[in-house]
Amino acid sequence: MRSTTIGWLMLAPTLLILTVFGVVPFVYVLVVGFTDWNAFAADPTAHFAGVENYRRLVFDGQFLNSLWKTLWFAIFAVVSQVVLGYFLAQLLMKDIPFKGFFRTVHTLPLMVAPIAVGATWRLLTVPGLGPLPYYLERWFGIEYRLGTYADQAFLTTIIMDVWHWTPLVTLTMLAGLASMPKEPFEQAQIDGANKLQIFWHITLPMLKPTILATVFIRMMDALRTVDEVWMLTGGGPGAATRYVGLHIWRVVFPKTDYGYGAAMSLLTLYLTIVMCWLLYAALVARRELPKAE
Amino acid sequence: MADTENGNGNGKVRGGRAGFLPIHTNAFDRVFIGTVVFVALHLFWMRFLEAHIPLYIATVLSLLIGAIIVARG
Repeated sequence: MRSTTIGWLMLAPTLLILTVFGVVPFVYVLVVGFTDWNAFAADPTAHFAGVENYRRLVFDGQFLNSLWKTLWFAIFAVVSQVVLGYFLAQLLMKDIPFKGFFRTVHTLPLMVAPIAVGATWRLLTVPGLGPLPYYLERWFGIEYRLGTYADQAFLTTIIMDVWHWTPLVTLTMLAGLASMPKEPFEQAQIDGANKLQIFWHITLPMLKPTILATVFIRMMDALRTVDEVWMLTGGGPGAATRYVGLHIWRVVFPKTDYGYGAAMSLLTLYLTIVMCWLLYAALVARRELPKAE
Repeated sequence: MADTENGNGNGKVRGGRAGFLPIHTNAFDRVFIGTVVFVALHLFWMRFLEAHIPLYIATVLSLLIGAIIVARG
């Protein structure tokens, strides 16, 4: 048997799984996105509607607002996680007492299901029951009401996401830092470089692939967050934390507007891919253009 | 996204070339960028211009831009 045939045979199970669970659902959503299909309508069957759903979408203030909020949420959450994750990884690289214990404890949030994270934070923050509003008011005089103040709700969802996912970033950063060769750092120290110069000229360039992969994973996750926020705020107060995943869920399930929901999902996917690609293009694939004479 | 020669994302793209786009691209990248531009232009057109200019113009324009990106990007 030829080696290429063996190669294709070995790839076949993966390709089959990818096709059944990846390509087919995507094509299905793509088709549904071009239909007018509402189970509660007078005619509950699907009809081809062309770009009508997308035409509706670009004027839908609620959707655009939720998209905007999701974007800010993702940017704040991912940047905080990367910065915090890097410092935690640097700390865990040093010889500190009980390092193994801390390394284990700090990864515990990763093992908790998102819905349980949302429930835990709900219990922490609900007025009259949770310790957070009680101590914030008692110690700092801050009136913390998650169901009343939009800014507080938005900030709390970010902090919750940071608490949940920073350990993942720390682990990837740890792997990146541990795989770095020691020689460039020793050479830089001999040459008299300070810590900031070492970080900027050696650590950061060598850690770039790790950071980029982490940002991609976390960005994609943050843009489709639903369950944690659903459990914590339910999208409120008003629509302050109704992120795009939550908004799509409301349109697709309670309203059963499948065509419009599919169009929203596709647009969100499109924006996610474009954002990640722009990041990749800006940080990795960029090249120097020839200067005009 | 295009694979790069030295594995860490820096350097030239395998089987790629340097056209007018500010990144090294291969054929897949250019088709991808063409598709992204196609969708973006249609959404922009529907939001801001369709009241005055029909959407077919956007289709023709984005196909033209896509063809240029694929051929010379």
